Amino acid sequence: MTNSIYINTIKQISVQQPLSDEWFDAPVQYADNYVRAIDPDYKQYFTPNEARRLGKILKRALLVSREAMKDSGVANPDAIITGTGLGCIENTEIFLDKLVREGEELLNPTHFMQSTHNTISSLVAIDAKCHNYNTTYAHKGISFECALQDAFLQMSLPPTPSTRGGVKTALVGAHDEMTPAYFTLLQKGEYLGRENQVFAGETAVAMMLSTEKTENAYCKIEAVEKVYGGLRVKPAMTDNQPDYIMVGTNGVAENDNVYFENCAKLFSNVPLLQYKNVFGESYTAPALGVYAAALCLKKGKIPDFLILDTRHKTQDTRPLRNILCYNHFENKNHTFVLLSNV
Amino acid sequence: MEKLILKLKEEIIEVLNLQDVKPADIDENAALFGEGLGLDSIDALELIVLMEKNYGIKLKDPAQGKEIFKSVRVLAEYIAENRTK
Repeated sequence: MTNSIYINTIKQISVQQPLSDEWFDAPVQYADNYVRAIDPDYKQYFTPNEARRLGKILKRALLVSREAMKDSGVANPDAIITGTGLGCIENTEIFLDKLVREGEELLNPTHFMQSTHNTISSLVAIDAKCHNYNTTYAHKGISFECALQDAFLQMSLPPTPSTRGGVKTALVGAHDEMTPAYFTLLQKGEYLGRENQVFAGETAVAMMLSTEKTENAYCKIEAVEKVYGGLRVKPAMTDNQPDYIMVGTNGVAENDNVYFENCAKLFSNVPLLQYKNVFGESYTAPALGVYAAALCLKKGKIPDFLILDTRHKTQDTRPLRNILCYNHFENKNHTFVLLSNV
Repeated sequence: MEKLILKLKEEIIEVLNLQDVKPADIDENAALFGEGLGLDSIDALELIVLMEKNYGIKLKDPAQGKEIFKSVRVLAEYIAENRTK
């Protein structure tokens, strides 16, 4: 028998109001093609001594993780699993810049130590004094889904001697910052900043998964699947029709058409939802898609600005039971996360 | 010496990113590590880099650091005696 897995808490810092679900009723709108996250007043959360070595991404990751743990009442999760496409790119840039400017001599240790991808997950663990399973997935556009699937698979299994009692709670994070220099590079590579494309954003999401449902749980995770290679294999979870599909459309035709074609192939007339119009594009943006879908399920409604097909706006009176989150990265990696209400 | 102490305080604040700390807040006779400013081993590495970069002082013996980093005043005196730039 497999365990049920619930998302009990989700906290985010993004281009929308930080640590808040306010965007659901009043999303902040942007006209620029590159938007940094709205940071809360960190002085309220960190002492000057705590904050002084932390770059933007580390402050955000630590704060959303702390808040997710506090809200869920889980101080020491059985696993901390993080997905990040770029890691601590700001510190990496500072470190590399000094490396070049100073001829590979006299490098500051702090930026070097905090320039790796797994700094984030380890920092969260050190802060929580958590010595349990700790892993980082740095797989570009599917980093978050890899982290989520790891947690999901471990939590699905009943305890065995080798899993030492099993994973019952997991803090899953998705963190990416976007520096001006990196945005310029990705713009040159035509990944961001293209005509009609949604803005480039930033992601910091922490969600507490548990085999026990809490009173304020967002949703249940029914399945997590990844398919590699142009969706030649039909994902098992697509056998049933979901109520809605939350897709990662971003305004670029060759990206969006993959969703339209595959959804038409796999399902018949399931209305599509979007989230990148609200949260922007980033390697770990799918975590914000899962968050948006989970919040819709928790509230039992979908705001109009998330509905892609205008025919479905305000006319759909069906009770909301489940949402399938479908994202692809360059039409090579396809990820599916099926969420249902609780 | 007082001028160098002030400059050193400013450099320490900048390189260690001591938010909300002003030069006047640092007692030049107080311990830099443990008590006082409460710096740690990573800060020690940053200070070694600072000394080499700004004053041309290369610490050959890491054990020297314990004595040199006793306080801002001790550090300033060591720099005044050994600086090459």
